[in-house]
Amino acid sequence: MGGVVVFPAVELMRVSVGRYSLTGLRQGFVGLQNYARLADQEPLPGVLVNTAIWVVAIVAVTIVLSLGMAQLVHQEFPGRRVVRWALIVPWAASLIVTSKLFVWIYDYYFGILNRALTAAGLLRAPVDWLGDDATVMAAMIAVGIFVSLPFTTYVLLAGLASIPPDVYEAARVDGASGWRAYRSVTLPLLRPALLVAAVLNMIYVFNSFPIVWTLNDRNPGFAHDTMITYMYKIAFKSALRDVGLAGALGVVNVAVILLAVLAYLRVSRWREELA
Amino acid sequence: MAPMIRRFAALALIAAATALGFAACGGSGQSIKVVIADYSKDHTRPFWQGLADRYTKQSGVKVDLQVIDWNSIDQQVSTMIQNNQPPDILNLNSFASYAKDGLLYSADEVLSPKTRDDFLAPFARGGEYRGVLYGFPILASARAFFYNKDLFARAGIASPPRTWNEFVEDAAKIQALGGGVIGYALPLGPEEAQAEWSIWMWNNGGDWKSDGRWSIDSDANVKTLSFLSDLANVHHVTQVNPGKTNRTDGAFQLFKDGTVGMVMGFSPLAAQLDKEGKVNYGVAQMPTNAGTPVTLGVEDYLMAFKKKGNQDAVKGFLDLYYQPDNITRWITAEGFLPVTKSGLERMGSDAKLKPYLDALPSAKLAPTTDPAWDRVKLDVQQNIGLAVQPGGDPKQVLERLQKNAAEAGGAR
Repeated sequence: MGGVVVFPAVELMRVSVGRYSLTGLRQGFVGLQNYARLADQEPLPGVLVNTAIWVVAIVAVTIVLSLGMAQLVHQEFPGRRVVRWALIVPWAASLIVTSKLFVWIYDYYFGILNRALTAAGLLRAPVDWLGDDATVMAAMIAVGIFVSLPFTTYVLLAGLASIPPDVYEAARVDGASGWRAYRSVTLPLLRPALLVAAVLNMIYVFNSFPIVWTLNDRNPGFAHDTMITYMYKIAFKSALRDVGLAGALGVVNVAVILLAVLAYLRVSRWREELA
Repeated sequence: MAPMIRRFAALALIAAATALGFAACGGSGQSIKVVIADYSKDHTRPFWQGLADRYTKQSGVKVDLQVIDWNSIDQQVSTMIQNNQPPDILNLNSFASYAKDGLLYSADEVLSPKTRDDFLAPFARGGEYRGVLYGFPILASARAFFYNKDLFARAGIASPPRTWNEFVEDAAKIQALGGGVIGYALPLGPEEAQAEWSIWMWNNGGDWKSDGRWSIDSDANVKTLSFLSDLANVHHVTQVNPGKTNRTDGAFQLFKDGTVGMVMGFSPLAAQLDKEGKVNYGVAQMPTNAGTPVTLGVEDYLMAFKKKGNQDAVKGFLDLYYQPDNITRWITAEGFLPVTKSGLERMGSDAKLKPYLDALPSAKLAPTTDPAWDRVKLDVQQNIGLAVQPGGDPKQVLERLQKNAAEAGGAR
């Protein structure tokens, strides 16, 4: 365990306090200078905002949609097994492949999205979904939701399966059914599953690299980067080409997601849930 | 937890054993790590694997061959160097930063005089850092101007444009055909913006440097970038968002689809067009606003890393690659241009390569001999596209690039 978790963490810390040449050659120890330089990076505030939008939008929408989907596949109906299997596909497919696929779906000239929307009369002219600053983030978030749905749905489905049927029996005796039973019985009993789904998705979406990298690769600058892709660009794809500075951002990234998860757990008062 | 711990212990043992195994290899028989960029799925690995096998057979030195795709090679090489495990031989599109860091053997140390004398002079000069050859030319390519003959005929244009004025007129005529047809595909997205920009810049009399100093924001260059911005935003003869279009899956894709009148291409694009047989295209010289057309020559490099006791092994491997039969066989297979005199003799008669070989004398290289270029290139890729977007400011973008370039000159 120590080797798997501790070694990379220590290595990241070591990188973040080092000075590196463009080739990756370590040239000495600089203390906390890289952290101080991070604060001077002009794109950073925008990147922080992007990251917040990226994580919150995907996790929130994913959970709402997954609640519905979990409810659906929880029902007995013919073909349920097939639907449950099909649900796994976006999750099982490689993220790079999925992202490339969406690049072509969104394409201004060749994409089927523009063709479908203009044919249906919803758009008058095609939109450059991945090139237009107004639509890039939304387009990426949609893909993020698409690939997060399966896992989340399965976590919530497991939660639904663990609710004993006699609770509903009791609710019905008390006169609660339908929406009322869902709100007063299902949702409270689902809270542990919801909590797990939210926390794991937060970490997973925050650290996600391939979607933003692939869908945003045509755009110059850093206007649509999250902290993860920005870190990669600092290290290898910008004039900075600085592994030490990227290492410092890497440490900050870990701290940010840890704090975000702790804050979330605090707000949702998980101790009472588990008690 | 106990079975878990046992499993980790077993893993650790395996890891230790493997590490020892590698160490043992290093002790008894020598081994070199050769890192090659992936130029094509069909030719790169087969050629280098064959060369490595031959080398092992004749010298007894094992070759650890790694063929890495262009998207991740910078990162992987950087990681190797961070971990103090640099390759012995590396193929890349830049070399000066590695020479500056003192990591490389010079040509005198690892190339035989015969090999050194065989390099074509401009490419040998393109591999020099402070007058010493460290970046050995591995292959070259030159850009050329591609045009769609069918669209030209439909628009009533007799021959490809020779001047910028003709170029704008022709682009407008093609765009006016309507039906989604595009005059010129301009890729200024991050993938290869510096290449597209170099060609336009030089054909307006501008340059990256003048008198040894960066001149990115010269008047001529500001005019050039404004011209490109006008193509998109005033004349409307380009594809949508040229500042956010990459070369391979953007501009080339549109040209291969037959919807674009003109694009800056190179021999691998020609090979794809020939294979698909969908577009009736011609290849011409760049339209120019400065009298003589200039094109971009690109040279990739082989570097030899200084490591204890590897000099002879590295030398042997490089000499094998630079045997005229070997280097020419590979460059021909990949569809690139020769970098040696003997290669030029052998490939000079190839009709398909004629337009690019003809363009070579007028080709200029990017300032790859300056370590600062390795940063400037990335800065240009990341930023120049912003100048041609609606509301972009060409002058401001170039001034910023100029400032960063001047600073990069003094950077570590």
